Amino acid sequence: MRDPGRDSGWRRVWDEPLFKTGVGIVGLLAVVGLLLTALNDIGEISFDFMASHWSFLLRYALTSLEATVISFAVGFGLAIPMGLVRAFGPGMIRRGGLARGVASPLYAIVTGYAEVIRGTPALVQIFLIQFWVTSTFQGVPGISLWAGIAALSVNTTGYQTEVFRAGFQSVGQGQIEAAKSIGMRPTQTFASITFPQGLRLITLPLANEWIALFKASSLLWLIAVQELLWGMDYIGTKLNHPIDAFILGSFFYLAILIPLSRAVTFLERVKRIPGLGVAEPQRRALFAARFARLDRV
Amino acid sequence: MIDREKPMVEVRKVHKSFGDLEVLRGIDMQVKKGEVLVIVGPSGSGKSTLLRCINLLIQPDSGDIFLEGVKVNDPDIRPEWVRQQIGMVFQSFNLFTHLTAIKNVMLGLTKVKRLDGLEAEKIARYELERVGLADKADAYPAQLSGGQQQRVAIARALALNPKVMLFDEPTSALDPEFIHEVLDVMTKLANEGMTMVVVSHEMGFAKSVADELIFMDNGVIVEVGVPEEVFASPKTDRMRAFIGKILG
Repeated sequence: MRDPGRDSGWRRVWDEPLFKTGVGIVGLLAVVGLLLTALNDIGEISFDFMASHWSFLLRYALTSLEATVISFAVGFGLAIPMGLVRAFGPGMIRRGGLARGVASPLYAIVTGYAEVIRGTPALVQIFLIQFWVTSTFQGVPGISLWAGIAALSVNTTGYQTEVFRAGFQSVGQGQIEAAKSIGMRPTQTFASITFPQGLRLITLPLANEWIALFKASSLLWLIAVQELLWGMDYIGTKLNHPIDAFILGSFFYLAILIPLSRAVTFLERVKRIPGLGVAEPQRRALFAARFARLDRV
Repeated sequence: MIDREKPMVEVRKVHKSFGDLEVLRGIDMQVKKGEVLVIVGPSGSGKSTLLRCINLLIQPDSGDIFLEGVKVNDPDIRPEWVRQQIGMVFQSFNLFTHLTAIKNVMLGLTKVKRLDGLEAEKIARYELERVGLADKADAYPAQLSGGQQQRVAIARALALNPKVMLFDEPTSALDPEFIHEVLDVMTKLANEGMTMVVVSHEMGFAKSVADELIFMDNGVIVEVGVPEEVFASPKTDRMRAFIGKILG
């Protein structure tokens, strides 16, 4: 049973995952802050430079955010039907008849797409799409950003398709059978059962994908999109403050990603259904995995 | 005038194979309105497949299924239309895990019968009360015991006002202490005149409630009769051996 000491107010506050992470981040920032202060004092880095240039980087950070939000949304929208094809295509093919005629080619295309996208470097995809888009829409202002957004969309669609496939497949066959048994049509079963249950199961991998995508947006620097990394490099080289520029830029990435990942954890807890999804100890492991490096490059 | 003798459900010469395995090998059976039919048989004898053929969760390879005289395994008939008239209760309950008890019962009413939320909730509360779970309306399935989950599942099926209820080993997944509460609900239903097809090895239930008992083995019906008589004096060796096994 519970240790009575654990019920003290402080103990309960400490047991809040949000509080612990908060303490961790504050502590980490304190240590990093001390280090940076020392570096500042010996003249290796310059707080003055950072203080006077952060607003310059802000608009480029917003461009990175814009590219990520748009491509993630496009990927989300496309990955739902594509994940459905990946999850339930084989079953329809096995059933034969008309369903087979439609499902076979669809399944082949979607599977091929997911494999090719996940099997090639994002940077190669970005270059290819950029060449094609800029040669097709020559001279359109801001076209490289849209080429970049298109490339990131193509990329994240491939990953999100697999995430949704896993989510849909994890919804128990019994759930679907029960929905059928009360006379629900396949579309109703999907909207009321498969989708809401699957989405809860894949909140974590989707958040992972968002984080990876935001960091991958820095690759757009290589096709001359004026995003956060471009801004960092610009002021770093122009003003000969490369280290200051990159440290400052890193804080922008953190400032956007950490609150987001906290928000996702919070959402997961609020939306958590008793008995559905991942048990608490496993969630902790997954939480740790979230901060593991996700290599997209 | 309602023809009391017209079968509610009739199954004629139904065959079903999965790959090379022929699970149903020519099944003929019928249930009249208000009757309770219990199906027993060793595992793998095709009981669950037969039950799933009746509400078209599984399409039979050949043969006919009739619901109140209407042939339902027909390309012109939507299986959803058939299924909303036939309630089904599963061995593993299969409550929708992301919905509370009352939402589980309401879903068919709002989505399939297209009732508005208030009316659906009224019916759902009534059905939960019928199975003795009015106080658990807002609990999620994982917060309920097996027996309670199965009773919610029965309420969910009853809410659509079905003509027949199918039970697929409704107590097999339950801890012994919860079996009686589910059987009590089923007995009450039978006494209220519900037509029921029950796959179960609960001998007590079969003897006290069932009008007819079918013994299946290897995809065929081996023996049919009044439960008391079949248990007391089985005509076939297979039935005798089976009774010996379940009575331990």
